[in-house]
Amino acid sequence: MQEFLQNWIYLIASVSLIGVGLYIVLTKENIFKIIVGLNIIESGTNLFMVAIGWHPNAVMPIYTATDHLVANGKVIAADPLPQSLVLTAIVIGLGTTALALTIGIKIFEKYGTLDVRKIKEAEE
Amino acid sequence: MKNETPELFKKIFALSVIAVLIVGFFLAFTEMPKGWGVNVNGRVSRLYVLKNVRTATKSLDSGKFFAKGVKPLRTDVAYTPIEFKKTANLEDGAANVVTSIVVDYRGFDTLGEVTVLFLAVSGVMMLLFGKRKKERKKKTEPSLIMYVGTRIAFSVILLFGIYIFVHGHLTPGGGFPGGAVIASGILGLFLGRRGYSPNHMGLKAFESLSGIAFVIIGLIGFFSVHSFLANFLPTGIIGDLYSAGFIALIYIAVGMKVGSELAAVVDTMITDTEEEWS
Repeated sequence: MQEFLQNWIYLIASVSLIGVGLYIVLTKENIFKIIVGLNIIESGTNLFMVAIGWHPNAVMPIYTATDHLVANGKVIAADPLPQSLVLTAIVIGLGTTALALTIGIKIFEKYGTLDVRKIKEAEE
Repeated sequence: MKNETPELFKKIFALSVIAVLIVGFFLAFTEMPKGWGVNVNGRVSRLYVLKNVRTATKSLDSGKFFAKGVKPLRTDVAYTPIEFKKTANLEDGAANVVTSIVVDYRGFDTLGEVTVLFLAVSGVMMLLFGKRKKERKKKTEPSLIMYVGTRIAFSVILLFGIYIFVHGHLTPGGGFPGGAVIASGILGLFLGRRGYSPNHMGLKAFESLSGIAFVIIGLIGFFSVHSFLANFLPTGIIGDLYSAGFIALIYIAVGMKVGSELAAVVDTMITDTEEEWS
């Protein structure tokens, strides 16, 4: 059971986060709630990518005076490549979120509401 | 347009779509071919971090790390164990392996990332641009403690942000977290005094100059090492502050750029503006 938890809990959590975010995006009508759902999907994706390169006994991929990344011919560090990709993805997610919130503000100023259905009715 | 479809049906439909996606994902993930052992996370790409070439070759032959038949990337380099504060003149002398990937091996990717952030911030500023309102909606004036405290805290936060992005190649952190920390300090200044406004020309100059500095560092690598964003400085001893070549320089540029950009976003979002265009 412990092995199972160590290996799978992050994957299950990430996929659950993606599911929760997808549910919010599909069912909610408020634009800001949809943006929050997109952010939850992004968090799930980032967690999934980091969990792929993780190991139950892994150390951080940083050379320090105490830890060694290679011990007895085996690499004991976590995979640094997904972590660097996640670093990129976090920054881009921040930029897109800021832009989406700004567009939401402009939509509210024009239509007076954030409900996507009311906006569609006002269009027709 | 009227909604004929009942609400419950829509929610059930959304839930079923998500369930199909999740089940399909898990099926695909568990059916993927696995190498060594049954551990899902044991099958990670270890070619990058495995600096011990001899051991890698041995593990390859025994089928321990990879499937048999996969060749290691380099077999011509002799193996030297990497020791903190002792090993010198590595290919990339950063103690933080993530930083060495982000800035050195994938420096072009980071340049694109900075460009995406710049475009997003430009979009935010373009959409929220307008004439400044005279009165803000918030009526309460922050107290004297708030005013003085945020100013004292700003100096400490600024110093901490600079520490983070200067030590990006040694400790967890780097230009992006350091810039975010500096922008949070500027947000504190906004909370501390009503009607606070940073020097816009200074922010723009910082942002432009640091962005130009990033490209110029890349061009220096292009003309001296014949590759854009190549490391043109000696890498030094691993673990020293003056090591890892140009990583610290690029992270200083990135930190200044991200800090000023996020401060500009905070400024445009907090300041009330009047509509100038329809």
